[in-house]
Amino acid sequence: MSEKADGARAEERGPGADAEGQGEGGAGRRASYLGFVAHEVRNPLSTALWSAELLARMAPAERAGARGEKLVAMCLRSIGRVRRLVEDHFLVERLDVRGIPLRPEPLPIADLVRAAVERAPTGASVETDVEAGLAAHADRMLCERTLECLLAMAGASGAPVRVRGRREGVRVSLHVKGDPPPEGALEDPRRGSPSDARGRSLALPAARRAAAAAGGALSVEGDEYALVLPLAAGSPAPEGR
Amino acid sequence: MTPERERSGRPLVLVVDDDPDILEAICDVLEREGYRVARARQGQEALDRVGEERPGAILLDLMMPVMDGVAFAEALRARTGGAPIPIVVISADGNPQRAEAVGAQGYLAKPFDIDALLAQVAVATSDPANSAP
Repeated sequence: MSEKADGARAEERGPGADAEGQGEGGAGRRASYLGFVAHEVRNPLSTALWSAELLARMAPAERAGARGEKLVAMCLRSIGRVRRLVEDHFLVERLDVRGIPLRPEPLPIADLVRAAVERAPTGASVETDVEAGLAAHADRMLCERTLECLLAMAGASGAPVRVRGRREGVRVSLHVKGDPPPEGALEDPRRGSPSDARGRSLALPAARRAAAAAGGALSVEGDEYALVLPLAAGSPAPEGR
Repeated sequence: MTPERERSGRPLVLVVDDDPDILEAICDVLEREGYRVARARQGQEALDRVGEERPGAILLDLMMPVMDGVAFAEALRARTGGAPIPIVVISADGNPQRAEAVGAQGYLAKPFDIDALLAQVAVATSDPANSAP
């Protein structure tokens, strides 16, 4: 790979990029990123362990009571946080070493959005406005994860979320509007949601990396997330053009 | 863990952490051991709690929004002068040197054992001069 391509790939990978070939600056960023990941994982790991340990020390009668229920809920919540963090971290790591086989396929955007809305753990209402027949050509798993993340982040406060899908030249453009994106969080998770109670503090950099691996790009435009994907062959021309 | 003790006369412990589950779990453990607890989600809030009642010890996270643990410790030193309140750093960053930076008496790397937490709190609150009146 050329030096220029290496640089572009490193930039694309953001804080999770490997240090090889990037000198001390790259190694420092890598160490800082891994330190942040460790910090984020250790907090919910602590509460998972403590709640399990406290439950184990309880008498059966107390375990069945309100305190026992509270600790079981904390344990499950904490393990869920760890799971999300680990999944996001390893998604980035595996994409960095090209360890995930990509299977680009035609993806009807309306179906993609509908599936993501159903899976995203947000209580917010989601309004969709997608051009009829619009389809991307990309890896389904990566696109679904990216869109699900954006819906979860945009709907975190419960505010309504709006998803708009349009054809823009040879690309599909998806805009997700809801809670404003934390400034700089796509590039640096420390500027996003550290100690996020849902375990999503690595989600945006992972989504950005997944979008890039799918042949697209994730960015912030004003107060919206903007996801661009390759257009599938045969997508209808936009109306009025 | 030792059996639940008599609550009267036990010192106040201020727990400072931005993670609500961490706060809840640690406070639960300490309260079961008979300690009185105060809680804060970041440094400025912790300073307010200290202003309300001087704690016998502070369990302090370092990475927090608004005012982090290092800034809090500096502000606390400026406020308490020659009568410092014992601080035990509870951190997920895995770097004990950072505890030295805040002049902490103890350091616990998350995830730490509950018994280790109780041992550190017992030591930190054992000096009568540091206990709440």
